[in-house]
Amino acid sequence: MTFTSWQFGVFVAVVFGVYYLPALRNFQVQLLVLASVFFYGFGQPELLPLLLVAVLGTWLFLALALRNRAIWLPGGIAFNLALLAFFKYKFLFVDSASALTGVTPVDFLLKLPLPIGISFFVFHNISLLVDLTRDNKNAPRLADIFLYIIFFPQLVSGPITRAAVFMPQIVPKRVDDVDFVEAAKWILTGYFFKLFVANNLNEMTSYMGFPLYETLRTQDRWLLVFLYSYQIYADFFGYSAIALGLALLFGYRLPVNFNLPYISTSFSEFWTRWHISLSTWLKTYLYIPLGGNRRGTARTYLNLMIVMTLGGLWHGASLSYALWGLLHGLLLVIERPFLALFKTPGPVVQFVRISVVFLCVTMLWIFFRLPNFDHALGYLHGMFTPTTNPNPTKLFYNLALLYSLPVMIQHLGLGALVSTSLRRWEPYLYGALAALAFLDAGPEAAFIYFQF
Amino acid sequence: MKPSSTVSWFCKCVLMAASVLAADRLATVAIGTKLQQPAATARDGSLITLNRYVQEPAPDLVLVGSSVAWRLKEEYFSLSRVRNLALAGGSPLTSLEIVAKQPRLPKIVLIETNVLSRPADRALVERFTGQEHSDAFLRPVRTAIAAYETWNHAPPDPLRVRAALDGVLSQPPSAFDNRVYVERAVNEMNADDSAAAVRTNVVLIKQLMAEIERRGSRALLIEIPLAPEIRETRAARETREIVRGAFPDRAAWLSIDAPLSELRWADGVHLDERSALIAARAIEKALAGR
Repeated sequence: MTFTSWQFGVFVAVVFGVYYLPALRNFQVQLLVLASVFFYGFGQPELLPLLLVAVLGTWLFLALALRNRAIWLPGGIAFNLALLAFFKYKFLFVDSASALTGVTPVDFLLKLPLPIGISFFVFHNISLLVDLTRDNKNAPRLADIFLYIIFFPQLVSGPITRAAVFMPQIVPKRVDDVDFVEAAKWILTGYFFKLFVANNLNEMTSYMGFPLYETLRTQDRWLLVFLYSYQIYADFFGYSAIALGLALLFGYRLPVNFNLPYISTSFSEFWTRWHISLSTWLKTYLYIPLGGNRRGTARTYLNLMIVMTLGGLWHGASLSYALWGLLHGLLLVIERPFLALFKTPGPVVQFVRISVVFLCVTMLWIFFRLPNFDHALGYLHGMFTPTTNPNPTKLFYNLALLYSLPVMIQHLGLGALVSTSLRRWEPYLYGALAALAFLDAGPEAAFIYFQF
Repeated sequence: MKPSSTVSWFCKCVLMAASVLAADRLATVAIGTKLQQPAATARDGSLITLNRYVQEPAPDLVLVGSSVAWRLKEEYFSLSRVRNLALAGGSPLTSLEIVAKQPRLPKIVLIETNVLSRPADRALVERFTGQEHSDAFLRPVRTAIAAYETWNHAPPDPLRVRAALDGVLSQPPSAFDNRVYVERAVNEMNADDSAAAVRTNVVLIKQLMAEIERRGSRALLIEIPLAPEIRETRAARETREIVRGAFPDRAAWLSIDAPLSELRWADGVHLDERSALIAARAIEKALAGR
């Protein structure tokens, strides 16, 4: 069940209607858990046992780690990483087309598809183990643990909420406390960015796929890379905004995942604005435990490279993802000595820095769009060689501009303007966005981050 | 936020959304779907082509087919009332069924037989044979772009087009090196096992041709030249054998005589502009000779 299906709309309406019934006030957590199980099992019921194993296993390790952290915390983390590795990276070692092992139960497991959202709920599990055992609190109720891990707005693609942030929010909720306007603003913005921007741009960027990209003219390959940059932002920002708004409806505040990433003036700033919950997770649970920047310059650089490369591999088992992460790590390392030089830059330097960061980030999205490394290299090569195809694909530049415009306007700061001096026009703007998302929605396309 | 201001906020939001929807609905009623919307994908292009066909008077000549025939642009023909309903990435059956189910038929329907492995696109057939209601709302951004494109690109002067095409014909054949694309296409078409689908589709084509002929129009089969390497692939050979076996009567075919040495294919399958022009002229010549 995706956020953009009518079934999801009915599902949310029903759950919301039941959730705040006074008679069920003491069972709100259980209701949300049940709803989340239904949401997850709607598309892949065969993977529900896996979700159960992941949660119960984490709960067991948590209970043990609260008694002896030194032994059972690493055990719990290893258990979760093993789950992730098995489902995500098994086909690096096993040929999916062959008869596999010949042992039926093992083959059944090997042939299970990649569970949707596994990368996200595994990170939730690790956060739960680390945060709660560090604070040496009592083990929370099993239902609370279930809710934290499988809460449906964030189950499939995050935001990755830290246990220390989410667990204290698990208290009885009242409908009077819901900020409906804020929730509506997040939800409408999210749907607008997904349906109007991302899905329409997806029609054009589908030509980036192999072998279609071979029909493109050189300048159109460049254009599509920038369009993909806008698309992936609109797609993931849209998802995160919907998740945030939905969570608010049920009384939970999830972390903001994006903060105008394409106006970043440095790569380190970019990672404080893009997929913030992942960056925060990696910083908290990987970069700092590795030593962060406390063990000298060389070790800091090494830590950055390790964290970013693993962050790349977290997206998928392919050389392209690893290279994407590695190159981001390299950019962080290269810029680090120069950051001190530009502490008070003028507007021109600022503009140049934003442009350089945006260009580099955009170019690296090619490895994201084309996980097959040879295809990514082929695309890149075509960006620097003249077109020879006598029948190139025609792209409408005016359509490309109009569908990209919301991302550009948002990054130019219009959102802030609307919430300040143009505040009285705000409801009309959101109404227009809702109508436009309905009228000019692009063809249905899965959220890009669902695959991770 | 206070409850009263929350209600007020939602009222304004809903009012605006409803106003935009109402305005769009009015525009849809006024403009309808006559304004051709820009094609971002091959499917969009199909919609435009078919949309125009069902709204205009029946032409003299209609070409149905796949992307192979799609390359034969309407302006390449000197006859003025020609419509090419070939669908890039589609099946000849889709347009053939749509044409056959219209109240008025063209004088001649040419059916490309190079690619017959794909089934008819039922959604398109239903949409353009009156089995599906048209959209209640138009897409505002697309329509705005369509209006701009229509305003900005007036139909070219036929004499100028003719002169430009003559200029293309006077050039030598393209020297584009298509080996890598031909090799890939040969591999794909040799691995393709679609004989069963072709047989099914040939039966359907036979039925639709009989229906068209019964209503007084002419339906003719046509084979557009392919690169020699592609012609010998398994898919091409099997398709040829099946369709020739099903239609042994030479009268059902329009044989075209295009000089192979002059033809070039961008990828072994699809003719380049100059070659498509030569093929279009050869079709006209063959029709004139019947």
